[in-house]
Amino acid sequence: MSEKTISNNPESVIYKRCTVDLASGTTTFAQVPCKNLEDVLGGFGRSFQILAERDIAEAYCPENPVILNTGLLTGTSIMTGMRSYFSGYSPLKQSGTGRPGAMWSTGSGNFGNKFKWTGLDEVIFENRSDKPVYALLKEGANGPEVELKPADHLVGLTGHAKIMALYQEYPEAHFAAIGPAGENWQNNYMGAVVMSTDNELKSGEPKSRFAGRGGMGSLLGYKNLLAVVALSSDKLQKITPEIRDVNRDILKSGGSARFQPASQGGGGGTWANIEVLQVFHAVPLNNFRPKGNDDVERLFRDEVEKEFDIATEACHRCGIRCHNNLFYKNEDGSRGKLAAKFDFEPLILFGSNLGVHEPAKVCDLIHRCDLLGMDAISLGTTISYVLDYNERHPDKPLFNGATFGDYEKIAELIEGAGRGTLPGIARGVKRLSEETGETAYAMHVKGLELPAYLPDTNPGYMFAIAGGHMSMGTHMMLAKEGKHSLDEWTQAITTAGLFQVGYDMIGLCKFVGVGIGHNIIVRALKEAAGLEIASADILAAVRRAYLRGLALELRQGFHEEKEYTLPSQVMNDPNPKVTLPKFITNEFLGELRQRVWSIFKPEMEGLLPVQGE
Amino acid sequence: MQIKVKLYASLRRQKFDEADWEITPDQKIASIVEQLGLARQDVGTVLVNGLHAGWDETVAEGDVVSFLPRMGGG
Repeated sequence: MSEKTISNNPESVIYKRCTVDLASGTTTFAQVPCKNLEDVLGGFGRSFQILAERDIAEAYCPENPVILNTGLLTGTSIMTGMRSYFSGYSPLKQSGTGRPGAMWSTGSGNFGNKFKWTGLDEVIFENRSDKPVYALLKEGANGPEVELKPADHLVGLTGHAKIMALYQEYPEAHFAAIGPAGENWQNNYMGAVVMSTDNELKSGEPKSRFAGRGGMGSLLGYKNLLAVVALSSDKLQKITPEIRDVNRDILKSGGSARFQPASQGGGGGTWANIEVLQVFHAVPLNNFRPKGNDDVERLFRDEVEKEFDIATEACHRCGIRCHNNLFYKNEDGSRGKLAAKFDFEPLILFGSNLGVHEPAKVCDLIHRCDLLGMDAISLGTTISYVLDYNERHPDKPLFNGATFGDYEKIAELIEGAGRGTLPGIARGVKRLSEETGETAYAMHVKGLELPAYLPDTNPGYMFAIAGGHMSMGTHMMLAKEGKHSLDEWTQAITTAGLFQVGYDMIGLCKFVGVGIGHNIIVRALKEAAGLEIASADILAAVRRAYLRGLALELRQGFHEEKEYTLPSQVMNDPNPKVTLPKFITNEFLGELRQRVWSIFKPEMEGLLPVQGE
Repeated sequence: MQIKVKLYASLRRQKFDEADWEITPDQKIASIVEQLGLARQDVGTVLVNGLHAGWDETVAEGDVVSFLPRMGGG
């Protein structure tokens, strides 16, 4: 989209789409008028409308597209405006009827900017190639150009190695690639999309970002599309005084402060959550079952600093600097090689939740997962189930018999999952637990594994449409505010919680940290994209987009009671070690569902298009 | 009167882990934060004896008042 085309009239806004038929190699370009404000804002707000037009019964079918797009602020000079989105029907998220759920996943790095600067807003990858290919998206003299190229030389490489190989060929580009997990799509449903960062290309170290959730990397693997190259000149938007003020306010608003470097008075990134949640013994331990002890404290920043050199780094031109990259220390005290990036999710899900508490071992497990290109949440949570099962069944364990804390055997499971030799793990915890018949402690909702926030503290997981914490912002409410009444949870889910998805439309990162209707967002859209729009209209569009996603879930067969629930262990065997209020019972969830559906359902009517139109 | 103040994560790094603290009997939590020299926007959660509390609440002799920074997931 160009600035000139953006106005309050959605139909007058035109975006540029390229449809790539991977089977024939043909490309078709189109100028597409927006149907509504969700289309204008972009991201999943647009892609889900395309997905909703299709009748998809299984994820791995030629008719299931992968849609790559951006948000309105991607490629602008608004801080964090660099997101790109991968959408499709997920191999992992699956209803009880067997039909796949629609998903999107997103990441930062500099790929989104480069993609936007080719002149494209959206690429739809249709069908599948019979040979491994990568897509080259580039700006040409007469507009964007797209071609498919043989990718035999990339087969078998890690996501990072694919990126570095392509970088040799295209030094001005940025990249999205899959790892071995995505290539083993038949046996791995949790493949991530690995996205390049400036730091990664410059240093050669694996400092990628990931669009991890829902197996979009596996879907790319099914399509035999191993990578996407975005080649364009940098088109850095002029930073006007108004844009400068928006960026200053993002940094000073307080919302982003918790993600800023500890050395500069910030919270130190999501890592700091461990210490805060530990106050309530609410840090996941041994498959989401805290023991009320201090095991996790060995992963506090102070402890890790004794062993590692911690560098706070950033995505392209982002002042929030949320990346905590850990480097080994050389004998002389100088910085050694990169160990891993320590974000809350992988840190907990490959650390305390697997019973592994030594930072160096946790680093290694994270690193293996990243290189193989898997979603850390899905893999970590599935492995914790395996360890839990094995502890309960020492005479008849699963796989290699790994139990909590068994670092070497856990590493074997990660390798096996990523290389496609352990489909029992790599197809996710829902399927595995249904095979074992022990579903009570399988930590997923609707087939998507839970992130590192206890389900005992968050009934909002039921109404997340694309993963537990990034599409329903209620995951910290109990710890933050102590609220646990039906009224409070109904309100949280049906108002503020769902607005979590708004950032996945406009191209900004959630770490901006203010509500999607905040004045900062309104000003950002106006100053950087020329869209003058009231906060209420933004909120209405985000709400419609969310509800469309929910309606799509029901259409794909998710049962509105049986599948909008939590792992039954939460209700039937509450953990006495967690010091937060225990309020989640079957009765509470039943009443909550009823109240939430009674608010949402009338609004969902008419949001889905007729399939095939 | 005396209370015990506990600070966590980034707040702890700014000041101290734990300390006995003198306050006036009717002093509200918001005022204690100010007295501690913490920026109110940096404090996300307040617990009094392990239970969530609001800015306008007062505390009693011997209470344990915990201050947690703002939290966010990702």
